[in-house]
Amino acid sequence: MINIQSGIPGFDQLTVSELAEGGIPEKSTTLIYGPPKTGKSIFCNQFIYSGLSNQEPCLYVTTDKGINQVQRDMMDFQWLIKNYIQNQTIYFIDGISHLSGGKFETKNNMVSSSVSNPADLMVKVGIGTRNVYKTSNHFRSILDSLNTLFAFNPDQMVIRILKAYLRRITEAGGTGLIAYTEGITDPKTEMELKSLFNNTIRLDGQYIHIKSDYTDFNEVQTFESDYTITDNGIVVNQNNFKNIN
Amino acid sequence: MKKTHIPKLDDFLGGGIPEGSSILFSAVPGVECETFGYQILNGIIEDGNRGFIFTNVTEPDNIIYEFKSYGWDLEKYLNEEKAFFVDGSSKFIGVPTIGKYSINELNQTEEIILKAIEDIPNGVGIINNLSTLIDYLDEDHVIKIINKLNKKAKANNTILIYIFTKWDYNPELIENIKNNVDAVVSLNSIEERVIIGQGFMVTNASWNHPDNKMVLFFVLQPGGIKIYIPKLLVTGPYNAGKSSFVKSISNESISVDRIALEKFPTTIAMDIGHVDHDGFIADIFGTPGQERFDLMLDILAREAVGAFIMVDSSAPQTFGRAKEMINKTQAEAIPKIIVANKQDLPGALSPEKIRDAMKLDDTIPIVPTIVIEDNGVDLAMETLLKQLYGD
Repeated sequence: MINIQSGIPGFDQLTVSELAEGGIPEKSTTLIYGPPKTGKSIFCNQFIYSGLSNQEPCLYVTTDKGINQVQRDMMDFQWLIKNYIQNQTIYFIDGISHLSGGKFETKNNMVSSSVSNPADLMVKVGIGTRNVYKTSNHFRSILDSLNTLFAFNPDQMVIRILKAYLRRITEAGGTGLIAYTEGITDPKTEMELKSLFNNTIRLDGQYIHIKSDYTDFNEVQTFESDYTITDNGIVVNQNNFKNIN
Repeated sequence: MKKTHIPKLDDFLGGGIPEGSSILFSAVPGVECETFGYQILNGIIEDGNRGFIFTNVTEPDNIIYEFKSYGWDLEKYLNEEKAFFVDGSSKFIGVPTIGKYSINELNQTEEIILKAIEDIPNGVGIINNLSTLIDYLDEDHVIKIINKLNKKAKANNTILIYIFTKWDYNPELIENIKNNVDAVVSLNSIEERVIIGQGFMVTNASWNHPDNKMVLFFVLQPGGIKIYIPKLLVTGPYNAGKSSFVKSISNESISVDRIALEKFPTTIAMDIGHVDHDGFIADIFGTPGQERFDLMLDILAREAVGAFIMVDSSAPQTFGRAKEMINKTQAEAIPKIIVANKQDLPGALSPEKIRDAMKLDDTIPIVPTIVIEDNGVDLAMETLLKQLYGD
């Protein structure tokens, strides 16, 4: 089992087990969820920034905020991605700007789609994965977040899109992190949602709870600790590690 | 019968779509499907008919914009009342509705589309997107709606085009939908970990027996749907005119050559061109002709799907070499034509004489050309396309 560095201080140390070195399992899918304002997007951005710094390409589907806003949010933590946009290490699919009436200039690695048009979104994901795959057979992939997709589509449709999306990115060698705000859908859909992922990370503002399903080893690992959001992003507190196996 | 205006599709459908029929474009997620509906609408309106677009996935403004990107003027058709929208999207995303009809409640969908069909006898209606409808309404209900719409369309001679994304639905539902339309075109992906190509195939048509042939396609902006031919080869003896041919046939081309000690420039690596011809696009590779470069013939020819074998009609002494090159590029196994170039030179042999001299059977067409005058080049392309895809 190969894990990749999460880029979140303390996270990789917390997730060490006899099966893996710690970090996020490569080419797996992770749902990051929790109440609003608990750092899910920050986690996502920190994760891809860590990859970009190592020249690992990234496919970023943004559905809550336009690309400019994502860039500004990252700048708050000194994660500057302008160069990665310019040299096309990052590939953006913006699923929201045109819905909010924003003008959007399509470039090679910045394309527009719409959360209300799942077929088109998947076409863009197809083109995006091909683009990223051309430069590297492993990459990081963000979908932030499912909330807007749920707002614009019936629940079952979002599950269908998600299945297609997860299949597409993992086949291409992507390690996927998908954000979702707890309570947006009914408990049944939430259960189904979680079942689609290899790993889940729950952030509640104080604690981070990680669950990894190592299907190959028929084993589920869970870890917990507290965390804080600092000026440099999320930091997992190393003094309170709990491996709950 | 109405033409779809999608290259090859009309042939596969036996000429087009009969008035009053319904056709389902069923796409694997990730394959471009909306363009099929839009291109058909655009073509059928251009032919003097009327049409509408029902959308529940994106606002009319975006569709107008998309048409523009293909080079089609939907706005003009809207103004001339040749086209109209059934806007089933705007209301649900909270923007003002546009169009002749708009849907404010989901349960109005059927009734309003029925009205739209009635408005355009002999026209065409695009339903984009059927999948989204399924998840909003329940499955049985959607089948009932399809039936009612098709019945109305039949009575009114209106063609209905359904755009459908094959998400992970229950296979029975997909089967059921397919059984409730007159024809099905499958839009598939060709994958090697990522989508590397897209293809379409008519899998069912009540008025014709489709031959289950899949063709690759690309969506160009501008341009729309084009049949994609990954690789065509141009080979033949030295100085037969291969580079000129690639240049003449291509919209863009590049040649790796140099002026050799001989006074003619000669290709020392390859010619590469890109052809856009009558709904087809192809990448075209020209080989060098000189024997000292034969080691690369095999590499350049790999994965070619069709070949132009160029000969200098006035130089029968090179025909043996041409046959040798067919062999070395393994072009025996792929559709090919002989391009009998330099017909203007004294002593140029006629195609039939070339056939005798090269001992070729009748299945291989020979097209006379004068490439430097662009004479016969298009015919050569059309002839090879016929070899590849039939009439």
